[in-house]
Amino acid sequence: MIEFRNVTKGYDKNKCEALKDVSLFIDKGEFVFLVGRSGAGKSTFIKLLLREVDVTSGDILINNYSIGKLSKKEIPYLRRKIGVVFQDFRLLESKSVYENVAYAMEIIGKSEKQIAKRVPLALEMVGLSHRINHYPNELSGGEQQRVVIARAIINNPTILICDEPTGNLDPETSYEIIKILEEVNRRGTTVVVVTHDREIVDVMKKRVLTLEEGCLIIDDATGRYGYEV
Amino acid sequence: MMQQEGTAMRFNSLKTMPKNIIRDTIHSIERNNLMSAASVVSVVAALLILGIFLILTINVEEVTKDIESQLELTVFLQEDFTDEQKDTIQDALDDSDLIESVDFESAEEALENFTVSLEDYAPLLSGYNSENNPMPASFIIKVKDPEDLDAVQELAMQYEGEGVEYVRYGQEYVDMLIKFNSFTNTLSIGVLIVLSLISVFIIYNTIKLTVFARRREIGIMKYVGATNTYIRTPFILEGLFLGIIGAVIAYLVIRVTYFYLLGVIGTSSFLPVDASLASPTVVLSQLVIFFMLYGGIIGAVGSVVAIRKFLDV
Repeated sequence: MIEFRNVTKGYDKNKCEALKDVSLFIDKGEFVFLVGRSGAGKSTFIKLLLREVDVTSGDILINNYSIGKLSKKEIPYLRRKIGVVFQDFRLLESKSVYENVAYAMEIIGKSEKQIAKRVPLALEMVGLSHRINHYPNELSGGEQQRVVIARAIINNPTILICDEPTGNLDPETSYEIIKILEEVNRRGTTVVVVTHDREIVDVMKKRVLTLEEGCLIIDDATGRYGYEV
Repeated sequence: MMQQEGTAMRFNSLKTMPKNIIRDTIHSIERNNLMSAASVVSVVAALLILGIFLILTINVEEVTKDIESQLELTVFLQEDFTDEQKDTIQDALDDSDLIESVDFESAEEALENFTVSLEDYAPLLSGYNSENNPMPASFIIKVKDPEDLDAVQELAMQYEGEGVEYVRYGQEYVDMLIKFNSFTNTLSIGVLIVLSLISVFIIYNTIKLTVFARRREIGIMKYVGATNTYIRTPFILEGLFLGIIGAVIAYLVIRVTYFYLLGVIGTSSFLPVDASLASPTVVLSQLVIFFMLYGGIIGAVGSVVAIRKFLDV
């Protein structure tokens, strides 16, 4: 599903390396936490997957296809396979909950009919059916994050990447969000959650990848938070 | 695998694109109303000034054409030319491709015409008759293209001393007109370039603001997999739209003004020659096509440059 082969990524003319010779494999349908301190290379990991940046050396394969071989024109089609959930939500304030989710379908050219059918289903799954015509500023943080999840999964991505999805939320809401992500995973989507949230990681008992200074130092299948704060 | 699906998606997204794009474009122009207005005004200003120069150029060209068409080349014959010489010269002129028409004016006709044109001073010429006629016989030649006047002169001068006395045409006059014509042309092109750069720059700035105002949205579009074309098209459309609105306004202003000027000048032309303003149909139909093209191109160029610089997709 996702495979890193000796991936190194350097910035500033390679003086400082954000990722150093990282190799890993995430199978289809897995639920994986990626943890590490600030600057450990977590953001670079996401940017590489979305091909916002290119690897300095090594290879990244998604569905056994090397994404480095994609032309610039094909990158949007790669991104349609990968849903993204952000810590800061990134919702459009001028659009309602329904419109924000529908927008992701409009952009890739789905018909009005398909949109009207799928958006309510996605919102139902994240438990927001009652907020469908509200605007983002009328919602709580947890509710906004649910809208973002609905938007990220609306086009049926094979992979869902969550960048600190609970970073701005209280523990109880965080737990609800993680439960939704688990449900998304149960329906067949590979989920990668980048987080600092130790409690969540410990409760979930999922596979944990720990990055430190650009190196993958621990790959623990039993779900322990990999480094001491 | 990814490519195949990609192609299918691409086709799909093109199909439903126009509706969203037009909606986005109009929203964006509304949101940026001040800068949009500035862009339109700059295109209008550029086109108004350009329009004035263009009309000037078109009119100078018309006047030049008018005057040129009136220009004649006169080949004066020697006093004692023979009929044989006259026929040789006439044949040579008739054979030339450069010549529109050749008229022979005998000495008697020349005197008669001269007398008619100097009616008021008739007594001065009354002493002359066919016996002591001071006027030479001549060929009056109209050329097809005034630029060939020189060549025709040379042709006639080949018979100098063999019937031809000398050849005359308003050389300095023609040269001056041609120079003035090319001067207005150069000036128009210069003004065109400067004003185009200014307009492109203002539209570029407007689109830059639009891109900036929509950067969140653009970021989201990128993450959900919108194609570059999908993201860029509204901005290009916006520039195109602003340019064309400017062109339409400028055209209307020029049109009204030109008809007004025509009314003022009327047929009582102040020009020293027998020529009036170019007809509005000719001028305005040339102008409308040029303006639309110009407005559209300026708008599109401005936005494409802005997108290249500020839209990292």
